Amino acid sequence: MAPSPSPGPSPAPSPGASSGTLGAPPRFFAASRARIFYLVVLALLLLLPLVSESAAVEAVMPVGLTGSALLHVFVLIFFFAFMSQAWNIIGGFAGQLSIGHAAFFGIGAYVSTICYVHLGLSPWIGMLVAAAVTSVFGAGLGLVSFHYGLKGPFFALVTVAFAEITRLVLLHWEFVGAANGILLPFEPDPTFWQFQFKGKEPYYYIALVMMLCSIALVAWIARSRFGYYLHAIRQDEDAAEAVGVPTKRCKIQAIALSAALAGMGGTFYAQYTQYIVPDDMVVGRVSVEILLGAVIGGAGTVMGPIIGAFILIPVGEATRVIFEGGGTGVSLSTLISSDLGFGEKFVAYLDYLASGGGGGLAVILYGVLLMAVVLGMPGGVLPWLSGLRQRLRRRADQAGG
Amino acid sequence: MSDVYLQALLSGLMIGGVYALVAVGLTLIFGVMDIINFAHGEFLMFGMYAAFFASVLFGIDPYVTAVLALPAFFAVGWAIQGTLIKPVVGKSHAIQILLTLGLSLLLQALAQYLFSADFQSLKLDYADATLQIAGARIGWTRVAAFAISMGLCLALWLFLQRTDTGKALRACAEEHEGSLAVGIDLGRMYKIAFGLGIACVAIAGIAMTPFFYVAPVVGPKFTLVAFVIVVLGGLGNIPGAVAGALIVGVVESVGALVMPSPSLKDLAVYVLFILVLLFRPQGLFGGKGA
Amino acid sequence: MSLFEASGVTKRFGGLTAVNGVDFRVETGEIVGLIGPNGAGKTTFFNLISGFLKPDEGDVVFEGASIVGQKPSDICKRGMTRTFQIVKPFAEMTVTDNVLVGAFNHHRDAGSARKRARAVIELVGLGPQADKLGGELTVGGRKRVELAKALATEPKLMLLDEVMAGLTPSEVAGMIEVLGRVREAGVTMVIVEHVMQVIMNLSDRIYVLHHGEAIAEGRPQEILNNPEVTKAYLGDSFLADQEAADADKAAWRESQAARDEGDGSGAPRP
Repeated sequence: MAPSPSPGPSPAPSPGASSGTLGAPPRFFAASRARIFYLVVLALLLLLPLVSESAAVEAVMPVGLTGSALLHVFVLIFFFAFMSQAWNIIGGFAGQLSIGHAAFFGIGAYVSTICYVHLGLSPWIGMLVAAAVTSVFGAGLGLVSFHYGLKGPFFALVTVAFAEITRLVLLHWEFVGAANGILLPFEPDPTFWQFQFKGKEPYYYIALVMMLCSIALVAWIARSRFGYYLHAIRQDEDAAEAVGVPTKRCKIQAIALSAALAGMGGTFYAQYTQYIVPDDMVVGRVSVEILLGAVIGGAGTVMGPIIGAFILIPVGEATRVIFEGGGTGVSLSTLISSDLGFGEKFVAYLDYLASGGGGGLAVILYGVLLMAVVLGMPGGVLPWLSGLRQRLRRRADQAGG
Repeated sequence: MSDVYLQALLSGLMIGGVYALVAVGLTLIFGVMDIINFAHGEFLMFGMYAAFFASVLFGIDPYVTAVLALPAFFAVGWAIQGTLIKPVVGKSHAIQILLTLGLSLLLQALAQYLFSADFQSLKLDYADATLQIAGARIGWTRVAAFAISMGLCLALWLFLQRTDTGKALRACAEEHEGSLAVGIDLGRMYKIAFGLGIACVAIAGIAMTPFFYVAPVVGPKFTLVAFVIVVLGGLGNIPGAVAGALIVGVVESVGALVMPSPSLKDLAVYVLFILVLLFRPQGLFGGKGA
Repeated sequence: MSLFEASGVTKRFGGLTAVNGVDFRVETGEIVGLIGPNGAGKTTFFNLISGFLKPDEGDVVFEGASIVGQKPSDICKRGMTRTFQIVKPFAEMTVTDNVLVGAFNHHRDAGSARKRARAVIELVGLGPQADKLGGELTVGGRKRVELAKALATEPKLMLLDEVMAGLTPSEVAGMIEVLGRVREAGVTMVIVEHVMQVIMNLSDRIYVLHHGEAIAEGRPQEILNNPEVTKAYLGDSFLADQEAADADKAAWRESQAARDEGDGSGAPRP
């Protein structure tokens, strides 16, 4: 995806591979420092729900952003990190840019919800069914696209078309509620098997575990033959094929796995929001939001999507809270058709903008961030940081020697 | 042919004409710079808003706006090429896709912020006038949009064939190194190509405003349809894009008749798209270099 | 039975016949040279026998089984691999990881693959650069990575497309030494080369391709004395050194043309 060093498979401290070189000891310490950092963050995240309403948190966080509101933000972070990690397998590691992952997300949500509503199947089981179904869709899409050698923008376009087709089908299929979607039956006294909870804490831990599992899975892939193969495919398919990488099969496996995870994410979303509807879920904006975390954090790296989500979601939520809190209550249409003079209209319009306009400021920021990362640090934040560290070290070496 | 089908055929051709102008802009940019512009539809949306606000605020007729918009959107395209797109020319497709995707996201959200997510539409005195052809009725505004689009496509084609700048643009599309060698200023050509491409799609939007709603989310559909057309007609092939656009227009409006629900008409277009990509990736009429 | 045998291999691009009825044979343990003037179709022929292009006619047999229509990765699994004239290191991976990808061909487990990769890296003399990124290397280094990746797949037969092109004389000497070691390791090789001295010294047998046809075959000395070859190839190149430089460029263009024909964007993989 980008011509920068990727901390995918490479920096895994391979025993003995580079024991003789000068760079080895600092790299080892850097790696373990990063590990300690991640462990500390994990410990804090595990404890957070216990203290989310404490005085300490209230003192640090902005007003209103404590308790369940705070947990909600973290659920969003974990959820998007998970979805982005799912995308990372096909889009980051294998370098096949999918802009249609909202389709797998939506299908997953619908499958488990239908299983629950019509068959009474626990959403936990439904999640696995969803994974199976979406992986079949993913494999099918991959089979067709890669068999015919679609690459780069053409594969991207097929995924967009696939998502649109999915949306249109869901939108017109009466059995699944068509445009109205499905409202999950409310359980006044939910059990664990119903995957419904009264408080935010269970969702928080479920999302956290899902995110951790996705990290573990991708970390394992990154060190395995499969991971190396995907990285090779992303950099040069012909060269990979020549040294025995079954490129087509690997790409199909990658998209199937990626789709399966995205489908599970769909189930979680359905259970969390209790309401699914095609026009909110299977749209281009969601597809882009799914890939955004990985691209910004570092596509094709293990922690990139996670870092990306931890940057994006707080930035987005903060923007919403700060700029879209008020609102004059005047709609633009009323303003246009009002009898005011042009100057007064303009002033009223400025007021309208100052109070958040029609919304969308967070997404404006997402767009700016995406472009800034693509132009300024094309591998994403993580690779950029490690590149920076190397440059600094090199400079220090030069100064010292 | 029954009247219903004649009606569908004619309205398909009319909207297909507008699609042609959208797609010609996309294919020009692709042909010259080898960049696929995922933000293409967003410029159509901004064209629509330009026409809408010019009309409701200042009483300027959309067809007058169309004339004013040509230089304005050309300048916008020129500026965007010079700043945002320039650094990614010649880079990997992934980088280019992500950049234009980011631009698309930004422009959509910007429109939502500035103009709100509400659907707007213009109410013009002449919007209801229709033209009767055999058993079919076509709104004059649609005929006008068709005529404007076809006229601009033809003008662009003549520009590329006859003028020195046009020939230089085509040379860039053929071979980058060769055109550098004969002293063509590639950077300037890219700006012209992007400017023209953006002007085309914006004017297509303006021409549609008298009969089409405006909202921040109208763009992506047109981007995708333009891709369908460009792939159908052969990448970088302008007459091919026009033919492809008319086919897509007709497939869409006949699809609306055949499908269980008229709003499923797009399904026919996407299925056509995937079939073409899979079985005839060089397009129905041959692409760049084919 | 020969290790490798191509018979009547033909490929047409539109009206142009790039390769026309070529017969080609390699015995176990040999180094076979493939030469020919610019545009003779050497790279196309390489693509045909390595599975990157599908011949219109003819058969390609490796170890007694036809490999026509098989994917390059499957052919590689069988023990035949190739390098590319325009080297293709995985630019974002270290040299070790580059070679590791090849080593995974026969080692599923990362540990033993890594061992294999390290051995190959030593063999081709890349030890000191093992931790550099593929994209950071010099031309000479890239050519060695290209060779090492192929070698790591544990091939019986290796097709080398101009591994010497663009190297300095001392690098050429180093590469010749490496190829000698590869041969001792029991790998059969086919080499396409523009540097005549190299091919004459290394090859046991040579094929000459001209206008897509095999016009001669024999021992290096026979080839040098073959009047037809002299006419087609050597006759034009009294200023061999100077032309070698041009030849590189032309061959590059030729291979680009073949690629463009073969896998234009979005086109079905041949």
